[in-house]
Amino acid sequence: MDINLIQEEIKKDLAGVTSRQGLEEVRVKYLGRKGLLAELTGSIPFVPAEQRGVFGKQVNALKNSLLNQIEEKEKELTAKISVPDKNFQDIGMPGIVRMPGALHPITQMIDEICSIFNRMGFSVVEGPEVETEYNNFTGLNIPLDHPSRDAFDTFYLKKYSKLLLRSHTSPVQVRVMKAQKPPLAIIVPGRVYRPDAVDASHLFMFHQIEGLLVDTNIRFSDLKGTLELFAKGIFGQDIKMRFRPHFFPFTEPSAEVDISCIICKGKGCSVCGKKGWLEILGAGMIHPNVFKHVGYDSKKYTGFAFGMGIERIAMLKYGINDIRLFFENDLRFLKQF
Amino acid sequence: MKVTYNWLKDFINLKVAPAELAEKLTMAGLEVVSLKELEGDFVFEIEITSNRPDWLSVLGIAREINAIYGASLKTPNPKEPKLKSTQNPVLSIENRKDCPFYSARIIRDVKVAPSPDWLKKRLESIGCRSVNNIVDMTNYILFELGQPLHTFDLDKLRGPEITVRRAKSNERITIIDGQQLLLDPEILVIADKSQPVAIAGVMGGKETEVTQSTRNILLESAVFNPGLLRRGRQKLGLQSESVYRFERGVSLSMAKQASLAASELIVKFASGASSGFKSLGYTKPSERVIDLDPLYVKRVLGQTIPAAKIKQILSRLGLKVKIKTKNILSVKVGDFRLDLKTPIDLVEEVARIYGYEKITRSFPCINPGTKTTEKKVPLNLIKNTLCSLGLNEVVTYSLIDRNLLVKSGIKIDKELAEIVNPLSSEQDILRPTLLPSLIKCLAYNLNQQQDYVNIFEIANIFSATGAGVEEKLVLAIALCGTNSFLTKQGLVKEETGLLHLKGVLEVLFNKSGIKGFDFIKKEPGKISIILGAEEAGFMLDLNSPALNNFDIKNKQVVLAQICLKKLFSQASTEKKFLSLPKYPAITRDISFLISQDVAVKGLLGLVKEKGLPLLYSAEIVDYYQGKQIPAGFTGLTISCVYRASDRTLTEDEVSPVHNSICSLLQERFNIKLR
Repeated sequence: MDINLIQEEIKKDLAGVTSRQGLEEVRVKYLGRKGLLAELTGSIPFVPAEQRGVFGKQVNALKNSLLNQIEEKEKELTAKISVPDKNFQDIGMPGIVRMPGALHPITQMIDEICSIFNRMGFSVVEGPEVETEYNNFTGLNIPLDHPSRDAFDTFYLKKYSKLLLRSHTSPVQVRVMKAQKPPLAIIVPGRVYRPDAVDASHLFMFHQIEGLLVDTNIRFSDLKGTLELFAKGIFGQDIKMRFRPHFFPFTEPSAEVDISCIICKGKGCSVCGKKGWLEILGAGMIHPNVFKHVGYDSKKYTGFAFGMGIERIAMLKYGINDIRLFFENDLRFLKQF
Repeated sequence: MKVTYNWLKDFINLKVAPAELAEKLTMAGLEVVSLKELEGDFVFEIEITSNRPDWLSVLGIAREINAIYGASLKTPNPKEPKLKSTQNPVLSIENRKDCPFYSARIIRDVKVAPSPDWLKKRLESIGCRSVNNIVDMTNYILFELGQPLHTFDLDKLRGPEITVRRAKSNERITIIDGQQLLLDPEILVIADKSQPVAIAGVMGGKETEVTQSTRNILLESAVFNPGLLRRGRQKLGLQSESVYRFERGVSLSMAKQASLAASELIVKFASGASSGFKSLGYTKPSERVIDLDPLYVKRVLGQTIPAAKIKQILSRLGLKVKIKTKNILSVKVGDFRLDLKTPIDLVEEVARIYGYEKITRSFPCINPGTKTTEKKVPLNLIKNTLCSLGLNEVVTYSLIDRNLLVKSGIKIDKELAEIVNPLSSEQDILRPTLLPSLIKCLAYNLNQQQDYVNIFEIANIFSATGAGVEEKLVLAIALCGTNSFLTKQGLVKEETGLLHLKGVLEVLFNKSGIKGFDFIKKEPGKISIILGAEEAGFMLDLNSPALNNFDIKNKQVVLAQICLKKLFSQASTEKKFLSLPKYPAITRDISFLISQDVAVKGLLGLVKEKGLPLLYSAEIVDYYQGKQIPAGFTGLTISCVYRASDRTLTEDEVSPVHNSICSLLQERFNIKLR
């Protein structure tokens, strides 16, 4: 076989190569297991002894030269890749993917709120939805025959005279404080129930998050700082916050907490009822009577508690105008979150 | 509670504009929900919290403004009139616990007429309808001083005498709005010699009301038991301005004062003559003394407020403050503030008037270590896994209609937890399973022209037991419809079925670190999910009656429900690294036809056993039924991976093992190799 002829053929083959695949074909043709070079190498033993040395060297040189040429060609092809391939698809075509599902917006809201408080050191605790009258009312300093109960209309259960569906997440305060000694730093998300007539902002079931911090030195000023961190975390650093005196039987001093309206930035609009403020939660220092019920010494401990409606926060944050949407579970709604 | 700017000015020297006043009141806890200009006056609508009955009066709000601005408060001080004759009313109280104080004043020769304009206008501006001068003047005092009053036509009272007592069973009364009510001993009434003439503190009777022809009146001012009145009016379904105040608590000294103030007005504007008075149960109200340490104020608020400032705030609120030894304040509380009982109540007063906004925020030092509600696998891991598999989380109501359960055909072997007072039958039980809610949600979405609905929910289910209501956290999944997705070969449409559901669960169990799980067919259309050795839930293919009930047509619905407590008991979040294989594997596929009667699970087990120790894994990588396959058969491909941990396997080692597997399958299952 004429080495020079082979050289020529290689050159011709390589010149015709335009793609990596073509180059691979050439490589296999010459360098593959059954390629020409293997054949040449295999024939060395059969070459007459006096020519064998020269022939061997020629085959070796050919191999090296071929490797070099392939390497060069490869570089050349790589450089060409930036040039649009005519087989390349229209990138305007839809991407190929299997769609993931979505977490319910209430779950997302709870996760977001919990993660803010988790970073501050609060732990998540849950409690039962069917509660005792004691935990839901009496233990929280809400006398059974007092108008302060009017805010907590309640579903009762048949067959059990003292069992009800919790009307707020606060009974978990009583449970946790009875079971553990301070320091306590907990948040409690969960479902709550009130026999409210259904409309765009009221439902007989909704979600709340309760927060509770008890230690030897917890102050109202701490409540202000903690809730401001929270509100800015959810609604942005620019919002303003105000604490308004209010009454809750289980806290004193008590406050309702407003943020500057996120729609009109405090100028007054239909969302905030022209007030410029949006009420987002209730809070206060835990009432000494609540401590008495759970056996804490109010000379030694102070604490704060706060509670908010998840749907309310989510409606404000996401601009949802009807609370019923959360429970209709229209996939077109769910997939927006 | 509505109050006007001019009315407030009767009690306090107001210099601030109404809008500024509204803002200040709101920030002191009297939330002004609306402020409207009305014929040269301004009407404030204020939301009064249930702990402050004293704010249900013009005087109470004026006292608050005094605390905020330090403007001087004019307190009324009516004098006891000289009686023209001394024919005192005959009174008795059955039980002083029901009625600690009752007073009756007789005014004779009144001229009942329409009210003077100023009175009409004031009442109407706060939304109170004018009736006649006598009724209007008692209402006026109610709004001004917060003490409900009532007037009877004296000549229509039998006796004339008054007894405060519980109603007798089956006694009846027609009240001023014309309703006839059936009474019972849980209801406190004012009665004359023979029958009830008013529901005490709630509403007067029609028969003895003051009318155009009334000449002589009996003016009632009393203090009733708040809880008793509340229960009574709830039972009768009544509400009134009077009982609203009695429920929250009225003060004894104000009850006395209001009677005088009303009689003064009546004598002045309806030309009557005071001619008799009698009261039962009056004792001089004892003033409560509360000691307040300014250090306690600081401990609760985190803000230093000087003792002098505290003293000023409390004094302006109408409390008597003295500085005792060691900077301790001694605070005397009059009976107009029934809500102030302990030092913390005073701390709130100080904070309110000092201004919450002036308290500098701080950050607490939070000590970790609270025990959390333990879950072996975070719920979010479960939720996120399901979402990553394309499922959407839903949240549905825990309260459902029991008929929904029947519609879904899902059998419940536990007793239902029922609601005493549902708003409607749609919420009459706590659901014992999540599945009916999911089916309903699924049907709703199909109705919204969704082709493919894949949803899950994690929530409690409930059942009634002897010990109470049991709550169980479960996961439920519902899949239905045709999933369409784009591939390089174009659009692929795939009908969802039980194997899709199984696939989702397998991924979930693996992610949860569950070692042993199994799916066992128990009855037609229902498959038990076994975790460890325990049945933890089930999958089912919804039967056609149920599909019809939910109006789901030509679609298969597959459902699963799993007890999460059982899942957690088998789950593990511990992770352990296994070395990656050092030597390459050899993969050999077996494609064959097999009778559909053969269960593949047993077949795979046998293959794995036979292939030991070189067979590393054996998996079904393809199956097919239909064209090219004879009826009753399935085309199956099993991919066998052979591997050794200490060397590269050779064909010579693998072939005999693989061939023996093929022969075994031929022998045992009569497979036909393709």
